[in-house]
Amino acid sequence: MNPMTPEIALGSQMMQMLPYLVIACGGLLVMLVDAFVKSLRKDHLSMLTLLVLLGAAVAQGLSTFRDVTLMNGMLASDLYTHYFNLLFIAISMLTVVFATSLYDRDGRFRAEFYPLILFATLGMMLLAAATDLMSLFLAVETMSLSVYVLVAGNRGSLRSSEAGFKYLIMGAFASAVLLMGMALLYGQAGGTSYGAIGAAMAADSGSVLLPLACGLILIAFGFKIAMVPFHMWTPDVYEGAPAYMTGFMATGVKAAAVAALLRFVWLMLPSLSIVWFPLLSVLAVLTMTIGNIVALSQDSIKRMLAYSSIAHAGYLLLGVLAVLNTGHSAEAATRTVEIASAAGGAVLFYLVVYALMNLGAFGVVIYLSRDRKTEADAIAGYAGLSRRHPVAAATLAVFLFSLAGVPPAAGFAGKFYIFDAVVKAGLLPLAIWGVINSLLSVYYYLRVIVVMYFKPAEGDLHEGTSWEVAFTMVVLALLVLLLGVVPGALFDQASRTFAHMAF
Amino acid sequence: MSIITDHILSWVTFVPLAGAVLVLLLGRSKTVARVTALAVAIIDFVLSLHLYKHFEVGNAGDQFVEKVAWLANGKIMYSLGLDGVSLFLVLLTTFLGPLVILSTWNAINDRVREAMGFLLFLQTAMIGTFLARDMLLFYFFWEAMLIPMYFLIGIWGGERRIYAAVKFFIYTMVGSVFMLVAILYCYYQAGSMELDKFMLLDLGRTEQMWLFTAFALAFAIKVPLFPFHTWLPDAHVEAPTAGSVILAGILLKMGTYGLLRFAIPLFPEAVLVLGPWLARLAVVGIIYGALVAMVQKDVKKLVAYSSVSHLGFVVLGLFSLTVHGVGGGLYQMLAHGLSTGALFLLVGVIYERRHTREISDFGGLAHVMPAYAAVFMFVTLASIGLPGLCGFTGEFLVFFGSYTSTLLPGAKLLVVLSVTGVVLGAIYMLWMYQRVFLGKLVHDANRDLPDLNLREWIVLIPILIFIVLLGVKPAPLLERMEPSIERLLEPVMRIAPESDTHHALTIVPDLQLVERTEDER
Repeated sequence: MNPMTPEIALGSQMMQMLPYLVIACGGLLVMLVDAFVKSLRKDHLSMLTLLVLLGAAVAQGLSTFRDVTLMNGMLASDLYTHYFNLLFIAISMLTVVFATSLYDRDGRFRAEFYPLILFATLGMMLLAAATDLMSLFLAVETMSLSVYVLVAGNRGSLRSSEAGFKYLIMGAFASAVLLMGMALLYGQAGGTSYGAIGAAMAADSGSVLLPLACGLILIAFGFKIAMVPFHMWTPDVYEGAPAYMTGFMATGVKAAAVAALLRFVWLMLPSLSIVWFPLLSVLAVLTMTIGNIVALSQDSIKRMLAYSSIAHAGYLLLGVLAVLNTGHSAEAATRTVEIASAAGGAVLFYLVVYALMNLGAFGVVIYLSRDRKTEADAIAGYAGLSRRHPVAAATLAVFLFSLAGVPPAAGFAGKFYIFDAVVKAGLLPLAIWGVINSLLSVYYYLRVIVVMYFKPAEGDLHEGTSWEVAFTMVVLALLVLLLGVVPGALFDQASRTFAHMAF
Repeated sequence: MSIITDHILSWVTFVPLAGAVLVLLLGRSKTVARVTALAVAIIDFVLSLHLYKHFEVGNAGDQFVEKVAWLANGKIMYSLGLDGVSLFLVLLTTFLGPLVILSTWNAINDRVREAMGFLLFLQTAMIGTFLARDMLLFYFFWEAMLIPMYFLIGIWGGERRIYAAVKFFIYTMVGSVFMLVAILYCYYQAGSMELDKFMLLDLGRTEQMWLFTAFALAFAIKVPLFPFHTWLPDAHVEAPTAGSVILAGILLKMGTYGLLRFAIPLFPEAVLVLGPWLARLAVVGIIYGALVAMVQKDVKKLVAYSSVSHLGFVVLGLFSLTVHGVGGGLYQMLAHGLSTGALFLLVGVIYERRHTREISDFGGLAHVMPAYAAVFMFVTLASIGLPGLCGFTGEFLVFFGSYTSTLLPGAKLLVVLSVTGVVLGAIYMLWMYQRVFLGKLVHDANRDLPDLNLREWIVLIPILIFIVLLGVKPAPLLERMEPSIERLLEPVMRIAPESDTHHALTIVPDLQLVERTEDER
């Protein structure tokens, strides 16, 4: 973020803050409605929540005044926040739809879900916008605290409680590390704003503390995006959490962390690239490989998707590395701009595609679940699905092929852009390792398709009566195919967005 | 009409896909699905005839070209083109399309709608692969082919279908992902995904070696070249008849087509060094495939291994790097598509009746199914290269081209060795024929087998006609192919040692040559 960006009048700032305010006030409102309105049905709350999200999306769409900092340099308001805010709002809306349909079948619903998901969304949006260590930390905590509770949302389920507790402990640890890094950074830079830190970085000559501080902050982000070796919590938490929350964490929380990471990484470039680049490369390779290898032997679809999400974090890290590598290359500045925006754009594009296909896959799991206690989790239970639910099977097949990166699904376009950027940034070995990994992943995605299509029906799955989830699944599958064939517009938007943030 | 003729390649490519969507939307009726699919495939064939009719003979370049910017500000194009090399492969695809659908009429009774949808989707992907002139577009179609074939084997296949389907998918993926990296590398160098721009690349020798290896691996697996062939027998045996026909008839040609279209012209220096090794592997495959075919107990597996052997001839022809050798290889691709496609159809006919393909379960079939036996004999002879039928012309040109090749070290020895493959081919095919059709009728179960029915005749007769036509009248094909082949070989010739260049480019007028051999017969 350019530290010279002008501040604007408070009134205009409020306009820029409108999406955040809508969500924050909406969350409070939902909470109050829940507490004071008698004879409330969950339909009311879910509609209200969706309306709040819709309102935030409209507010975001209407805000035209861009490239400013808000609240004394705490937050940015630019194309980048615009892009991510819309993504987060969309993810939350889908999550609300999924959760509500599951509560429907349950007969009982959890009113606390609705305000908490709004607060989590607020945290994610702030995370992508943060341009100051203070706002960064507040955003991380706003998001995480809500998610801790939501992960444990299956009251009475031991696994869910365990997942929530585990995520809380790990999250607290990550926060502590983050704070430590921030403290060191503050000590060196004498300020908490990204502008001040960037200036200190530029003036720095060989201090040990700056890279160390960056490293600690990277570790904290590593926890959130499930980077190896900070991924240990992921499978248990993803498996124990209710399916809609797993989808939310794998797409939303991860996207938010990557958004903040990219902003941070671009800022810390001088210190980061020399010291941390080799280490980060190794970790990216390990993240992909471990995620994929362990996913090979999973029998639970949620656990499989959890490991696959670790692997996808690895692909995203490849994109981040490509961004990093262009930053200190000696090539002409224009070239760097072009490659960096291609790499950053690839990451941004991938996050959207990943959200679509992963939420879609979780959507199918939710569609087939009887209730929250008995989720359609065992892969063996999907046997013969193509006969009993042709549409569910077909859409899940589309999402899985997309996750595996087979054209014409969007996952291929996403991987194509990432690997393309990696090759352009001169990291050919990483690209080769990346494609070997996507090859490995084909096997476990195919396994589910084998079960669905090639095995005779057995076991019992829920009949799948929720039309809204079915509708969502089909729309997501069509979007995945559409983005696979014509990814150009979104990618161009993504790389423009990144270039805007970075230069 | 001009809206069709102006974009004829897109129409030919995407009509089947539209048909697939239509079939899926039309409802559950099996007959409706079958009839619709058949109609779409026939329409597609008729459309493709336009290509033959309006193909400009003697023009080596791409015709009917379509170019629209697709991605990355036009650095990646939706670019289709058709030259003499692609022309007949596309025609073969559209020709086999309706026949394959007709062959499934009774064989596939379960989930007909999906089967028809996958067959049509597959056809779009195959045609697109032959027509794409942009590397990303090519890769797109190339990979998209895997999905329908995977389902065809996995859903409608035999007992070990799951193993075969997954093996097929992963094996092919292994090759193609490395090709993707190679494509990305070239894209970075060329700044464009267009094939024409790739052709202009000035690559160093080491670079070429790596890139060629990546491309050749993808294509060698698809061919399949020994020792990458192990997926093929599994896939063939487990696939339903329709799947086998497409697999043998067209899918395998993707590999040899890719070698000819991309690997040879893009990396000429590497071709001169590594090409001979591929030719040697091809000869190993010719003999190995034939020997293994000889000991098979299952007719389908025997035909599958014969494909390994036959495709070896094609690869040998390609890496002779002479116009005749390559032309012969291309011709052999078409001939193999017809004759092996027909063989798989015939095996399907008997399997539908007896539900076994074991050679030992038959014997003396000629007594109860005389017409079937006659047709089988005819196709067998075509497959082993009897002069006058399609198999001969290609094999002859391959041997002729390879024998005169100066760029292939030890060419004469390789030819001599590969000729033994022809002899072995005659042995295993005729021996199999003898055990299945001749002698006494030993099994009672075979006593009442009905002969070919009308539908089966309708499927087979067009193929038989073309088997003869390709055997006696190669000129219309060769005169369209050869200019394009010369164009694809041109980069290699440019850097080949001076004396060799002269020799290799001396073209004996082909038509005379082939007609003379026919007369001598």
